[in-house]
Amino acid sequence: MEGLFFNVDSGFLEGIVRGYKAGILTQSQYASLGQCETLEDFRTQLSASDYGNFLANEPSPLSTSTIADKATKVLVDQFNYLRSNSVQPLSKFFDYITYAYMIDNVILLITGTLHERDTHELLQRCHPLGVFDTMPALCVATNVEELYQSVLVETALAPYFRDCLSASDLDDLNIEIVRNTVYKAYLEDFYHFCTSLGSPTSDVMHRILSFEADRRTINITINSFGTELTKEQRAKLFPTIGRLFPEGNNQLAKSDDIDQVRQVCENISEYRSFFDNTSSQLGGGNESSAASELEDHFFTTEVHLNKQAFMQQFQYGVFYSYMKLKEQEIRNLTWIAECIAQDARDRMQDFIPIF
Amino acid sequence: MGDDYPTLFRSEQMSLVQLFVPTEVAHDAVAELGELGNVQFKDLNPDVAPFQRSFVGEIRRVDEMARRVRFFSTQIEKEKDVIPIRPLYDSAPLITVGPRAAQTIDDLDVTLAEHESRLQQMNDSYKTLSERTRELIEARHVLRETAVFFDKAQDQHTDIRTSFDDSSAPLLQHDDRENHFSSASVQFDLEFVAGTIDRARIPTFERVLWRVLRGNLYMNHTDIAEPFVDPETGSETRKNVFIIFAHGDALLAKIRKVAESMGATLYPIDANADKRSDSLREVTARLEDIQTVLYNTGANRRSELVRIGESLASWQDVVRKEKLIYQTMNLFNYDVRRKTLIAEGWCPTRDITMIQMALRHATEESGTNMPPILHELRTNKTPPTFNRTNKFTEGFQTLMDTYGIATYQEVNPGLMAVITFPFLFAVMFGDIGHGFIIFVAAVLMILFERQMAKADLGEIVGQFYFGRYIILLMGLFSIYTGFMYNDIFSKTLHIWRSGWDYPQQQGNGTIFATNNGHVYPFGVDPAWHDADNALVFTNSYKMKMAVVLGVIHMTFSLCLQIPNHIRFKRPLDIYANFVPQMIFLQSIFGYLVVCIIYKWTVDWSKSATSPPSLLNMLILMFLSPGEVDPQNELYGGQSFVQVALVLLAVICIPWMLCTKPYFRWKEMRKIHDQGYVGLDQDGTHRDSTDEVLAGEEEGNGRAMAEDADEEHEHEDFSEVIINQVIHTIEFCLGCISHTASYLRLWALSLAHAQLSEVLWDMTLARVLGMEGIVGMIALILIGIFWFAATVFVLCIMEGLSAFLHALRLHWVESMSKHYEGTGYAFTPLTFAHLDANE
Repeated sequence: MEGLFFNVDSGFLEGIVRGYKAGILTQSQYASLGQCETLEDFRTQLSASDYGNFLANEPSPLSTSTIADKATKVLVDQFNYLRSNSVQPLSKFFDYITYAYMIDNVILLITGTLHERDTHELLQRCHPLGVFDTMPALCVATNVEELYQSVLVETALAPYFRDCLSASDLDDLNIEIVRNTVYKAYLEDFYHFCTSLGSPTSDVMHRILSFEADRRTINITINSFGTELTKEQRAKLFPTIGRLFPEGNNQLAKSDDIDQVRQVCENISEYRSFFDNTSSQLGGGNESSAASELEDHFFTTEVHLNKQAFMQQFQYGVFYSYMKLKEQEIRNLTWIAECIAQDARDRMQDFIPIF
Repeated sequence: MGDDYPTLFRSEQMSLVQLFVPTEVAHDAVAELGELGNVQFKDLNPDVAPFQRSFVGEIRRVDEMARRVRFFSTQIEKEKDVIPIRPLYDSAPLITVGPRAAQTIDDLDVTLAEHESRLQQMNDSYKTLSERTRELIEARHVLRETAVFFDKAQDQHTDIRTSFDDSSAPLLQHDDRENHFSSASVQFDLEFVAGTIDRARIPTFERVLWRVLRGNLYMNHTDIAEPFVDPETGSETRKNVFIIFAHGDALLAKIRKVAESMGATLYPIDANADKRSDSLREVTARLEDIQTVLYNTGANRRSELVRIGESLASWQDVVRKEKLIYQTMNLFNYDVRRKTLIAEGWCPTRDITMIQMALRHATEESGTNMPPILHELRTNKTPPTFNRTNKFTEGFQTLMDTYGIATYQEVNPGLMAVITFPFLFAVMFGDIGHGFIIFVAAVLMILFERQMAKADLGEIVGQFYFGRYIILLMGLFSIYTGFMYNDIFSKTLHIWRSGWDYPQQQGNGTIFATNNGHVYPFGVDPAWHDADNALVFTNSYKMKMAVVLGVIHMTFSLCLQIPNHIRFKRPLDIYANFVPQMIFLQSIFGYLVVCIIYKWTVDWSKSATSPPSLLNMLILMFLSPGEVDPQNELYGGQSFVQVALVLLAVICIPWMLCTKPYFRWKEMRKIHDQGYVGLDQDGTHRDSTDEVLAGEEEGNGRAMAEDADEEHEHEDFSEVIINQVIHTIEFCLGCISHTASYLRLWALSLAHAQLSEVLWDMTLARVLGMEGIVGMIALILIGIFWFAATVFVLCIMEGLSAFLHALRLHWVESMSKHYEGTGYAFTPLTFAHLDANE
């Protein structure tokens, strides 16, 4: 039935987003990007892709950050186009997508203020999708209570922050706790919102969000080893959704080292491969590369899930997935550009291919 | 011979040519060919990535120059006062060919870079200066507004004081002291922050402050009347002056921080009135200074832009051409020693001498004595289709090309469309008045052709302009058919004496016209116009005429198969397709046309039988062959003729269906019996080895190798059968439906006539009889309305619909009879359309 009326409101936008998706760079395009000698080549090569001449008016010594900025701008323009053409409940869904960026921006601003960075510089570094009116005022706040009362209370993020008002002062650890609590609340809320949208949106989105939640759970666990975060506190930060919930979460809350994490993940076949070669390297003390490898696994799985979202029609998951895939693509482009700029060609293949 | 003179009947004969161009001449040669505009180059390195080609460096350099030129033109566009850009035909040409070409380009590059940096610098200083000006202006506003505010506050202050003093009046000498005291102490205990902020942010700002300070503040703000213009983007922002009072350093610090992060600018304002007026004076003085400087900078910048504007057009031209030249050169291949470039491309065979002349010219220009070598290659690839058009035929050719590009050397329907298209249009649009209006419009467009070509017309007018010659002919033909229908704005013309007389009117009864022996020499007799049975007459007349015209048009299109079959040496198709198709069409619909004309020639008022219905005759011809009701007999021996015709048509169907596949099969058997076997698998194998060889030789053998993999059309026998079945069914059904489709000629012309009559009756007919001044005014007003409606509804809207139907009759009904349309267009390298794809 949902297929019957879906196109009335969202058919146009789904068509648009699927068209956008067709413009995502393919393996062969990445291959030819990898052959570029300079960033000028990079620009020439990209102008043959869907990006067109988005760099044409940039003066010649091209920097990596310009490429990333311009690519993000392309994405933001597309998103805003979709968003301004949407109607409820799709527009609400788009709002939910922006909440994640808003949370990131809030945390970025608070952290920056804490370390006494220049406010304007911070504002420029904020993701354009997560900008809201009262955001600049965040710099005045010194504790969470104040933060909430003065700025966030009128934004859509307010309900998420309500849970972490207890944290008194803002320091690095507390900010991390706030970030994770808020993100947890956001993920759960988004999850329930998707449930209210009904199948098939909920099917697709639950898959993606569950993975997102599990990823956060695992990350929190691994990162909390050797810090002063107590196990009870840690358990509170875990989102109550995801495939690891509830048994896996309970075990993770109690775990002390990476092997226990691995055992928990063994229970889910898709996650089993994450730790295949990480644990062996971990023994060798090469912890940072192991962590980055795990991160790469996560990204690969995320890309895989998001690609699967396009298999199903008449659902909103494609919009979310498109954003995620495009973000990954921008990360890839930045990576390749960075490799070209720093002449580290051997590491160039370490991006995560999408198609 | 058609080959001696360019003709639209077939597309140009093309040759594949190979050019060996010495590297030093290559640029000039390509430039020359681009000016000539009749060679289409093939990409000889399709598997090389765009940034690995030979001339990427040059392209990149040109791109950089293009970026600079774009920068200049946006700067010029953004300037408020219009800066003249000298048009291209007026400016001195930059010579980019010949021995000094490289230097010219280098010079140009340097000039552009210089201009850019200078402009950039000026922009920067202009920007900082205007930033400063803006700040000063804001400061002035803040000072003024706060002064107003303080004054007001002071008044209230003294009000309070005086009222207070009133109650303690007795001590008069005290009053003086009190007054003195009060004026000195307009010293506020409250500290404050003042500044400006974007007007849109005021509500948010207020809300945030209120929440941050928990309401412990007093805020006041006023609008600044004039907007601030951003010098870089030219966008306007409107700002407000605000002043906030609060108590305590912590709070003030917070306010400052919030204000700054919200994008407000703060200005230090003193609470003391004297100091404020001092600083106001100071600000005003500085503002005056800075505005002078700003004005000078602006004038300098403007003169720089004017200087740029003088040669901008020629720069743009050069940059575009250079880019195109290098892009074309990237398609070329190097020979082994990398001394010569090898190019391949299609060009019209007729123009080879011209191309050779151009190449020689290029050699002379560049000052070397190594002429490029051109020679024709033998190939069995299908050349592109190139119809040489002029401004008259261009429109018609485009109409037909929109359907599909003609196969190489096929009969080109664009030639026939020059006459048939306006004619079919006019059959539907026939009206002298309306035809005259669009004729005049087309003539105007043609008279002002040059002026309009230069101006940017916009999409819709531009399309009308493009089709001006089509419109011209449509107008002329409409006038002609208008005379045929005797219609001018739904009225009639009495040019000659009518063949009918109406007796004098007596009472309200119907009167009958009497024939007076005259025959109206041209078109419809005007007497029909007011007759009661006018509609019945025109209906029957136009319907039959539509069928007659349709069958003639289809027959003609069918005949166009013959030149195709002869040119492509397919005699089989003439016997197996053309002949049966023609017989089929003529035995049914040709017969109908003959009957229609015969029926027109008979004077049925003197005949014994009543006129038979031709439609029923045609239907009964198939349903009950051989039986003709004597009541409905058109002529003697009708039943025999009809049976013969039906049999003829029926025979044609298996003829079309089977002959061609049978002969094909026989041919294949013959080849097979002679012991030939298909070489398909081996063929692909050989191709791949050729490819390897070509790779080894790097270039030299390339062209030959590509020729080896010819377009191998291995026609499967089953495919032949399926094609033929589809073709036959399509044709037989098509004959019937297409004939019916031509009835749109009748329907549209009737609708057009009726609509214009209704328009006349509803508007002008009502006011024509009125007398006096009221009648005059009404006549003028209604006349204007009538004319507007005539132009917009009848000429433009009805015209578009008739246009569309005429187009359809060509694309579907006519072109399906002969047109293959599987070619691809000839897209030569040319500098002519550079502006278009900017």
